[in-house]
Amino acid sequence: MSNVDETRTPGIDESHERVSYRSRQQFWDLIESPYVVHAVLAFAMMTVLVPFGWELITSFKANSAIYNLNYLPANPTLQTYYNVLIGEGYWKAILNSLLISTSTTVIVLALATPAGYAFSRFRFRFDNLLFIGVIFSRLFPPIGLVVPYYQIMARVGLLDDLLGVTIAQVYLWLPLMIYIMRNFFISIPEELDESARVDGCTRLQAFRKVALPLARPGIAACGILTFLYSWREFLFSLIVTSTLDAMPISVAVFKFVGDVSVSWASMAAASILAIIPTVFIVVFFQRYIVTGLTSGALKG
Amino acid sequence: MSNQTQSDTAAGRPTEGRPPEDTNVRIDDITKVFEESDGGEVVAVEDLSIDIRKGEFLVLVGPSGCGKTTTLRTVAGLESPTEGAIRIQGMDVTELDPRERDISMVFQNYALYPHKTVRENISFPLEVRSFPKDETERRVEEAADLLGITELLDRKPSALSGGQQQRVALGRAIVREPAVFLMDEPLSNLDAKLRVQMRTELNELHKRVGKTTIYVTHDQAEAMTLGDRIAVMNDGQLQQIGPPQQLYDRPTNRFVAGFIGEPPMNFLPAELDSTGDGYRVRTEAFDFDLPREKAALLDESGRSPDSVTLGVRPEDIDDASLVESGPNRARFEPYVKLTEPMGSDKFLTLTPEAGEGQELTARVSPDSDAEEDETTTLSANLEKVHLFDDRTGDNLTR
Repeated sequence: MSNVDETRTPGIDESHERVSYRSRQQFWDLIESPYVVHAVLAFAMMTVLVPFGWELITSFKANSAIYNLNYLPANPTLQTYYNVLIGEGYWKAILNSLLISTSTTVIVLALATPAGYAFSRFRFRFDNLLFIGVIFSRLFPPIGLVVPYYQIMARVGLLDDLLGVTIAQVYLWLPLMIYIMRNFFISIPEELDESARVDGCTRLQAFRKVALPLARPGIAACGILTFLYSWREFLFSLIVTSTLDAMPISVAVFKFVGDVSVSWASMAAASILAIIPTVFIVVFFQRYIVTGLTSGALKG
Repeated sequence: MSNQTQSDTAAGRPTEGRPPEDTNVRIDDITKVFEESDGGEVVAVEDLSIDIRKGEFLVLVGPSGCGKTTTLRTVAGLESPTEGAIRIQGMDVTELDPRERDISMVFQNYALYPHKTVRENISFPLEVRSFPKDETERRVEEAADLLGITELLDRKPSALSGGQQQRVALGRAIVREPAVFLMDEPLSNLDAKLRVQMRTELNELHKRVGKTTIYVTHDQAEAMTLGDRIAVMNDGQLQQIGPPQQLYDRPTNRFVAGFIGEPPMNFLPAELDSTGDGYRVRTEAFDFDLPREKAALLDESGRSPDSVTLGVRPEDIDDASLVESGPNRARFEPYVKLTEPMGSDKFLTLTPEAGEGQELTARVSPDSDAEEDETTTLSANLEKVHLFDDRTGDNLTR
């Protein structure tokens, strides 16, 4: 900028400025140019997509062709998928996962939405303490709770049971979702609830007719996240399931690691099968995730 | 009409016993204490009593934090008073939910439901109360027509301008035809020009609908133009309640005197000497004999301290060459620090001597030839001055 130059006292050496303003400007212009930006994005995408692509290719190879140094399978085959789904009976694991994730999502939303609303609106004794308690339950590593959880499930006879796995999933994701819903409700002006109450609503009606419809993006985001998180959860499911009676797909994939050898092609096929539903969800619902988590799009 | 509803006493306390027949809302000795998270307590409203007549437009006015909004929310049922009671149409509603109080409210940020169209917003209070469909439709159309928003009915609030949103909020309030309207600074989010326009519209609307209205604002101009009566609050306490002109002419204390009127009243430290048959007031800027009427009021007050605060409104000071001099005018020659021509009049910022002494504002005729950085001769109307007790702030010459 010219006025920078004008303010300089003539005669004083300007070399104290290590990099001239012009050079710095050129540098940032380059960094922010479309080429550089796109190159960075392309690199980021590759790190995500290459392993996925590799797995996809592997899943179409016959088991014997895994160690061939071809990128593309010489004789692409769906045989592996057939073996995994029907032969090994892994359709049951996918069904289990669907049941577990769906019911987890329903239960978590049914609890987190009113809980988040209550934490955002009501002042009651120990409200902050209670809220910290909710958050606290997720602050230590889950592995610390795996053993007591196993013991409890064994005692009540819920080992290898869909209900047992679902309980674990609800425990794992409910606190986070209460937190997200609370923040979302805070972004909805309380004046709207008050206005509804003056207009003739009970507190419950104000929640149902005004706050709830406005919280839809947040609820959608929470639902999607809960579904995705519980779909891919591994540790707790691994501990309490041992057969395909209740085993979700995330654990089932792992079962292809045998004592002697690893069935790479089957594992790849099972992984792809496990990924497909999540890809669908992300593609179709991503706008809800974005609007839901970057709330404040709602101004009163 | 009872004595007490017309009362302009500082406390404005209701008389004992039954409220007068035409009292619509009675705020009965309420106190509201908020507990803070650190265990401390804040008294937002203290021993407040106001009776509001049927059809009256009462304005609660005061600086922010004076308790006016808390009072309104207590009437609405959004806060419950720590002590005292709220009565609406003779019924004690203190323990009732907002929806059971037959009120409607316009919020500062309008609180329009963003997910509903204008039509759904306005019909919401009827819909919740299960009004028949055709009745709902008729009333919404009527309200929209009254407010001139018929063509906006199918839009969402986000597609409306501030003024339009304001009208929708009003529509939602009037559609149910409640006993009382409550308005919490409804014009404060509008730009200056629109605010004046909406103020006029609110006035007209009140004339047409004729409902009891309690209106909260911090803007004294809004209070003066809208209110049948104004209740001035400060620090949770009622300072004075009365018709606008009364508050302007006969403020009960220094706070009210300084709050009502724009630019605000000048306050000057003054000495008060008894001269046998009257009083002489001496200030830094000028001395004068207190007019007979004022002196009589001062005698009535039973207090005549040596030092008082003199209150003079800027509009009661004019260029001496443009007003006739008389016994009840005092001439003085201050130094003009600043002139601000407003078109209709001219604001002067004055000091007793060049560059020293307490500043004074005068609102003189635009024809005044007062120049900056010169002294000029001004004349103050002594019939309009007030003397305030230094210690209590009470007006001694009311």
